[in-house]
Amino acid sequence: MTAALPLRIQVNGRSYEHEVEPRKTLADFLRDDLGLKGTHLSCEHGFCGNCNVLLDGEAVRSCLMFAIQAGGRSVETVESLAGPGGELNDLQQAFTEHHALQCGFCTPAMLLTAQEFLRENPGQTDERAIREAISGVICRCTGYQQIVEAIQSVAAKS
Amino acid sequence: MKPPPFEYHAPATVEEALQLLAGGNGTYALAGGQSLVQLMKFRQVKPSALVDLNGVAGLDVLEEREGELHVGALVRQQRLLEDELVGASWPLLREAAKFVGYKETRRRGTVGGSLAFAAPWAELTAAAVALDAAIDVRSENAERTIPARSFFRGPNATALEPGELIFRVRFPSPPARSGAAFHEVSDRYRDYCQLAAAAVVSLDGAADLVLLRVAQTPYHVDASSALEDEGALDDLLAAIEPEDDIEVSAAHRRRVAPVLARRALRDAAEDAQRREDA
Repeated sequence: MTAALPLRIQVNGRSYEHEVEPRKTLADFLRDDLGLKGTHLSCEHGFCGNCNVLLDGEAVRSCLMFAIQAGGRSVETVESLAGPGGELNDLQQAFTEHHALQCGFCTPAMLLTAQEFLRENPGQTDERAIREAISGVICRCTGYQQIVEAIQSVAAKS
Repeated sequence: MKPPPFEYHAPATVEEALQLLAGGNGTYALAGGQSLVQLMKFRQVKPSALVDLNGVAGLDVLEEREGELHVGALVRQQRLLEDELVGASWPLLREAAKFVGYKETRRRGTVGGSLAFAAPWAELTAAAVALDAAIDVRSENAERTIPARSFFRGPNATALEPGELIFRVRFPSPPARSGAAFHEVSDRYRDYCQLAAAAVVSLDGAADLVLLRVAQTPYHVDASSALEDEGALDDLLAAIEPEDDIEVSAAHRRRVAPVLARRALRDAAEDAQRREDA
C-alpha cells in the first residue's frame, strides 16, 4: 500500500472528494468507490473498449488511467444518459428499438462512444464513419449491424 | 490484474520531473500510460514510483520552427491526425498515426511515449526513422540529441539512459517534391501490425523506406534504386531477418515484406505527384 491521495473529481455533473490509492484505476474508482457499475471491465488492458467513459467529453479507456489523474476533470459514465426518472435518452431508446444489444455487456461503452460521435458529428449517418467511431469497442454478440443502425437512426433525426 | 503499488508524483515543470527521474531504479515516467499501465497490470513492470508528465508545462508543443516540426514529448498521437500543418507538410506522420491504436487510446497515448517504449509494432518509430527525426533528451544535469536512426536498439530497447527523458522530437522537412505512404498488415482491423512499411518518395528520385517487424529494430533502406528498377527492392531487402511468432511465420513475413514495400513506395510517389499537381 502507498498512502492514499486526495482526489476532487466531477462525475456525471456531481462533485466528489475522495481519497484514492495511486494505483487505483479510474474504472475501479467509478465502480468500487462511487458504485457506478455501469462502467464495465473486460480485458482491462485497453483492447476491448468496454470501459470507455467520457473524460471532459472525450471517450477514453478508464482501465488505462489512474483515478488520481482525473483530478479536477469531468467524467461522464453511462449512468448520466437516462433522465432523472430513468427515462431513456434518444440513443438508449434507439438501441432498444433496433435490438442493438444482446447480452448488454458492451452497451455502456457503445452508448457513450456513440454519444460523443453524435455530439461531434450531428446528423452524420454515414455507415463507415459510424463504424470507425465505434471500432475501439468490441461487441461479441450482435455483429454491430443493429448498433450502427441505432446510431444512424438518431443521427437522421437531428 | 491490478497494478502493484507505487509512489505517485505529479510535477509541474520539466526540471522537477527530471529531478524525480534521477531518483534511481524503479522510477518511471508516466506519459499517456496506454502501454505502461498495461504492462503494470501484467506485472511485467513494477515501478516503485511514477512521475506523471501529464501536468508538466511545455511538453505539448507542436509547431514549425526554421523548417523543422517540433513535437513535444507529450503531444497526443491523435493530434498528428488532426493537425493541419502535420497533414500538409509532414504527411508521413499523419499516415502512420492512422494506424496507431484507437481514437480512445490515441487521445492519451503520446509521441514521446511511443518512441521511448519502442514496441516492435509502433508505427511512429518507423515514421521517426524514415523522416530522420532528432530526439532531444534531457536528464537532471545534461541534455543531448539522439538521431532516431540510432535510437532504437531492439524490441522495447532504446539508447535512453536511466534518468533520461524524451523532451521533444524534431522532424526535418521532408525532401522537396516528396510524398508519403504507410501500409500495414494485421489480423484484425486496428490490431498490432505484423508487418508495416513507411515510405517517403521524392519526384527528384530520393526514397526512404522503413519496414517494421522484419528485424530487431525499424529497418531503414535508401530505396531510390528501386524507383527505376523494381527488382532492386529484392536486393535491398535480402538482409532482413524476420522472426517467427505466434501469429505469423518468418517465411510469410519475408514474402509479404516486398509486396508491402512496393505498395508504400508506389503510393508515396503518387502522393508526391498529387502534391505537385495541386
